[in-house]
Amino acid sequence: MARAEASLFTRLIALVALVLALGAAALVTAAWRYGRDAADVAYDRLLLGAALQMAEAVTVENGRIIAEPPVSAFELLALSGRDRIFYRIVDPSGRTITGYEDLAVASGRGLASDAPATRDGRFRGAPVRLAETGRVLADETARGVVTVVVAQTTESRVALAQELTLRAAALILTMSGLALAGVAVAIRFALRPVDRIGAALRERDPRDLAPVDFAAPRELRPFLAATNAFIGRLQTRMEMMERFVADAAHQIRTPLAALTAQIDLAARRPEDADRLERARARAGELSRLVGQLLSDATVSHRAGTVPLTPVDLGDLLRRAMREAIPETLERDLLATFEGPAEPVTVEADPISLKEAAKNLIDNALRHGAPGRLTIRLRRTADGAEIEVEDDGTGIPPERRALALRRFAAPSPGGSGLGLSIAARAAAAHGGGLDFRGPDANGFAVILRVAQGSAA
Amino acid sequence: MRRALLGVALALAATGMGARAAETTRYPALGAERGALAIHAATDREAMDPLIRDFQTLYPALRVDFVEYVTTELFDAAVAACAEGRGLGDVLLSSSVDQLVKLANDGCAQPRRSPETAAAPGWANWRDEVFGFTYEPVAIVYNRSLVPPQDRPRSRLDLIDLLRLKPETYRGRVGTYDIRVSGVGFLFAFHDARQTASTYGRLLESLGRAQAVVRCCTGEILDAIESGRLLIGYNLLASYAWARVRAGADLGVVLPSDYTLALSRGAMIPANPANPAAAGAFLDYLLSPQGRAVAAEEAFFFRTDGAAPEGGDPMLREGSARLIGIGPALLAVQDSAQRDRFVAEWSRTMVEMWTP
Repeated sequence: MARAEASLFTRLIALVALVLALGAAALVTAAWRYGRDAADVAYDRLLLGAALQMAEAVTVENGRIIAEPPVSAFELLALSGRDRIFYRIVDPSGRTITGYEDLAVASGRGLASDAPATRDGRFRGAPVRLAETGRVLADETARGVVTVVVAQTTESRVALAQELTLRAAALILTMSGLALAGVAVAIRFALRPVDRIGAALRERDPRDLAPVDFAAPRELRPFLAATNAFIGRLQTRMEMMERFVADAAHQIRTPLAALTAQIDLAARRPEDADRLERARARAGELSRLVGQLLSDATVSHRAGTVPLTPVDLGDLLRRAMREAIPETLERDLLATFEGPAEPVTVEADPISLKEAAKNLIDNALRHGAPGRLTIRLRRTADGAEIEVEDDGTGIPPERRALALRRFAAPSPGGSGLGLSIAARAAAAHGGGLDFRGPDANGFAVILRVAQGSAA
Repeated sequence: MRRALLGVALALAATGMGARAAETTRYPALGAERGALAIHAATDREAMDPLIRDFQTLYPALRVDFVEYVTTELFDAAVAACAEGRGLGDVLLSSSVDQLVKLANDGCAQPRRSPETAAAPGWANWRDEVFGFTYEPVAIVYNRSLVPPQDRPRSRLDLIDLLRLKPETYRGRVGTYDIRVSGVGFLFAFHDARQTASTYGRLLESLGRAQAVVRCCTGEILDAIESGRLLIGYNLLASYAWARVRAGADLGVVLPSDYTLALSRGAMIPANPANPAAAGAFLDYLLSPQGRAVAAEEAFFFRTDGAAPEGGDPMLREGSARLIGIGPALLAVQDSAQRDRFVAEWSRTMVEMWTP
């Protein structure tokens, strides 16, 4: 038995879920970046606006540079709510006109010295965003560039970026969930032919060795072709086996018969009579063993593979009695058949059933019945019962289970096959083997056959 | 001559400050003392008294030390403490909310989040660090027995006209804040200038021409009006004036009909307070319905919805209130260049120009 592997469905879902999870993680990361950029764009406008307003408010009075940050610039920055505000206005000589003197001014602004620009930074331990712009003074009394730096803590930006990211993440996760559910449905749908073919193979008649021919997706066709090739090989093998069994039976029986005949001839010489008698007994046993092996092979092979036909069990039993009870029995035996007047007909394999009946009768003759053998046939609710009763001591209860297994409990002079053959035939007909007694009537083996006993 | 007079004015202001600076009042714990709360405030102790006593009934094991400052001095002390990495007491109270906003902006505040702070309106909460716990209109106050009814101004224009028509009567008898030393005075003047630049300019000119008396604090001006040395006071906290009316002073309180500034007194926990738990509890108390009820009935008299105290005559007109909200826009008030120029302009008009 091969090690159990995860189902195709599980594998596919796990792989798709992995891909979706990685994709969702990448998208959420991207959303965080976009959110941060969007927040920066939005708040940078406020920041630059405030810087420009402050720069606009720079004036020159009597050669003195006056910088008065207008309230509106602070109101603009206050729109972002919680954030702290720092600013610094520096005159062309680098002296701070007003604001926070420790706020850094970007150096090396070069020619575009009055172009507004934003950057990230830190001020007094807090992360800030800085906007910087310049005001070119062209007054006769004051020349140069006044630099305005406005910084704002990033709490509102981070909050906005987080909110944007959270919303995007919710969308991405919802979408991923939907995709996963859709994939699950799609996989179930795509794998349906596998289930269908499996069910069709399972429900196939075991005797049907015709090639399977289903409409199957391209991916499953090699699997069907391999199955058909296997069925073909199996059929060939079985035909070979049947031929071999038939040939072997014929080939072995013939020399055994000849051997027995030779012994019979030789036994007429009185001086070797005793030894020859033993040789004949051995040959008889061998002949019977071969017969039983064949019978066993027949029943085994036919079980479940041969189409059932209506069989008249009374007729079948009479023939079995004729074949199983030798005419030259060394003791007086009263063998009777009791059955209903009307024929008892069931769907059965006559050859298997006859082999079974013959084995039961043979068993009774060999190990039981000192003087009486009764074969009964009864119709039951769901089929029929064949009862073989003798006046012997029967099989001890503790040996009964063992007696039903092949070669498990050979009786003296027996092969250990008789009851197992009968049991197997009964099972193939949807029935079983039971024991009754021993009691006043003796001991009986009952073989049950189901009516519609298709196995 | 001009310089000399200015020098005298500054010296006067300095004396006033010196007398009031860092005056500590101790409220012993009602029960066995298990901790102390230090309140550093630029707020009249008389106004805070009922709130502190009510707070102590809730926390009987707390001793409360109330240290009283002038606004600017409180700010300077808080900045110095912040630079050293310690908190100035446990709770800062100031009518000059722009200074508290500046402190919070510079990282000198500790946030407080609680159901009470969450319930505070947006204009009374910045960063969960600076909270407004009162609603105090800014009023014109006059002496009822000395100012005849026809002279009582209802608006700024009335005041300008009065000073123009009766210069002899009112010269040297009108008082207002000295914005050079009073943070809250500067805050009011700055907002006046923002409201209507022309009215502000004319008013300043009128006050200067009338040789208005400038003082550090509402209390001093109210004392002077009550005693009759001054007749009219401009830009005074109506809450303090109303406290005196309730105490029997013969004062009239006018909320100007053109517009009325309204201030929400600020409370803040400085960074690294000595007793953060007590600081948070006191802040929550100030913002709680109980604290606000006590403030409205016994301390500051006006409710956040602008409703007048009982028996109040001149009331807020619909839409005339201009609330000074607590937020980063107040940082503009704290800009040094702006402040220097504004104060210089004010000084020139109020003190120097009309000095003979």
